[in-house]
Amino acid sequence: MRRFASLDSANPLVAYLFLLPHAVLFAVFVVYPIVSGISLSLHRYNPLAKDQAFVGPLFYQRLFDFSTPEAVNFWRSMAQTAFFTAVVVPILIALALFLALLLQRPILGRGVFRTIFFVPTVLSVSVMAILWRWMSADQFGLVNIALRDIGLPSISFISREWLAWIPIIVGTTWWTVGFNMTLYLAALASIPENYYEAAELDGAGAWGRFRFITFPLLMPATLFVAITTVLASLQLYGQSQLITNGGPTRTTQSGMMVITEQAFTNHQLSSATAMSLVFGLLLVVLAAFQFRLMSGRVRAAVR
Amino acid sequence: MATAVRFPGAPSGPAAPRRRRSVRTSLRRDGGRFVTLLVLGTLFLAPIYWMISTSLKSEADAIALPVQWLPDHPTIQNYQGVLADQSGLLLHWAFNSVLVAIVFTILYVALCALTAYPLARMRFRGRDAWFAILLASMLIPGIVTLIPLYVMALNVGWLDTFHVLIIPFLPGAFGVFMLRQYFLTIPRELEDAARIDGANALRVLRHVIIPLSVPALVALAVFTFLFSWNNYLWPLFTVHGEHQTLPVGLATAASRYVTQYGRLMASTALAAIPAVIVYLVAQRYLVQGISLTGIKE
Repeated sequence: MRRFASLDSANPLVAYLFLLPHAVLFAVFVVYPIVSGISLSLHRYNPLAKDQAFVGPLFYQRLFDFSTPEAVNFWRSMAQTAFFTAVVVPILIALALFLALLLQRPILGRGVFRTIFFVPTVLSVSVMAILWRWMSADQFGLVNIALRDIGLPSISFISREWLAWIPIIVGTTWWTVGFNMTLYLAALASIPENYYEAAELDGAGAWGRFRFITFPLLMPATLFVAITTVLASLQLYGQSQLITNGGPTRTTQSGMMVITEQAFTNHQLSSATAMSLVFGLLLVVLAAFQFRLMSGRVRAAVR
Repeated sequence: MATAVRFPGAPSGPAAPRRRRSVRTSLRRDGGRFVTLLVLGTLFLAPIYWMISTSLKSEADAIALPVQWLPDHPTIQNYQGVLADQSGLLLHWAFNSVLVAIVFTILYVALCALTAYPLARMRFRGRDAWFAILLASMLIPGIVTLIPLYVMALNVGWLDTFHVLIIPFLPGAFGVFMLRQYFLTIPRELEDAARIDGANALRVLRHVIIPLSVPALVALAVFTFLFSWNNYLWPLFTVHGEHQTLPVGLATAASRYVTQYGRLMASTALAAIPAVIVYLVAQRYLVQGISLTGIKE
């Protein structure tokens, strides 16, 4: 009892004791998988064999040898994922900001609108994807019904190259824009009202107030939104897998899809691990680069 | 589009007419804003409406032309059908998902509180370095550890169990970060009072910090529940058969009901309901939680 009572925060051992359970799990399920992943990618993994043959950087070399199908599929899927990200991220930032600005000041039904825009974000990717597959179905999907109603020809979204991206992009926007909107609403709420009053006294119009007050003061929020949205978009998986299954002819296959296909369909776990490490490295480097690039702008804007 | 309305400068003059004028202009401005919201809101609701409407039609009506905006012959046979199908598999998956999400949420929030407390409050060697490592770990994309974790699960016989859906996700750093930020805002004096009364660190955490952190803990619990409830990629490859959870199960149902749109939408609607209920109940905490995470330093 006395020993237990001495467990106060002045004793430095107490802190380590508190951290221990999490640290053990962190070592086993975060650090060890990274280390063992590197090792896995340098061996030819065979779940049935006792000894795994060491092959060195073979699987990395193959990723850069374009006579192999894995290199072709991997880099093509990377380019496609980059395309998806380049299209969807500006939409997810601009539309989120627009919605947040619409809801910034009180208006009839503000809570209801906020709920409508946010609610899709709590749905699972399978609910969202099945719904958008049905929305964009050939004849009886709501999108094609609407197109016919306004006199346009209907479109087979799922089976046409490039057009198959439309349900993925629109569905992703519908699914996730509410989250960014909420981040922007929180940031907008923290802008002091008297900044706007002062600008109004100086004769600033709505655009002037947005351009010189709202937008610069939102830069930290935009930095956060941009980085998290880019990272999430590059990890595109469920939407492609469930709406188009990567088709037609692999044109909507994402990087994550090629990696999991290599691992779990082709059972090439070592090759897939090499892919995932290259992909992961690209993501981390990109996030760091984006952070440096944009945090410079944040400082400039705040100054 | 909200139209730009310039405020007339009018620096002098009685207050009352000016206020009336500004109300009138703001009504005009809000009209455009409201119509824009109405249009966007309708577009956002359309998929949900179409899901529910389709789910209440017979299979023939679901693909009948001209389209029935409201079902001509509304029926709940699709719901009865999917609930009875394969001796209630949908409910079985939903039960698995709820069970996994609840157990995971309890363990995760408790672990995060235990870990965040010393990082926020105690002074010890390596504190800031450890916190930086945890923060940096949030940048590691899940795909990097996916396959090694799969091999680990395979080797210890965890595939097709509930463990594999819960334990590997426990060391996530997001919750630690969020709770530490919240704990930092609690005045130290409250703890000092308890400590003078002889409470040890664990008691201070349980009886002082935790009761004062309910909003943050609830927000984290809602995030955690939804994360687990919606988890798709990892369960897709690690759990098949009787331990399967709802998102993956729903995807397999989709391949079974390829042309049965009514049943497909009924399953989808049923799968959507729990998350929507959690959101509606915990909306306030969720929104607070989101604003707590990103932007505030």
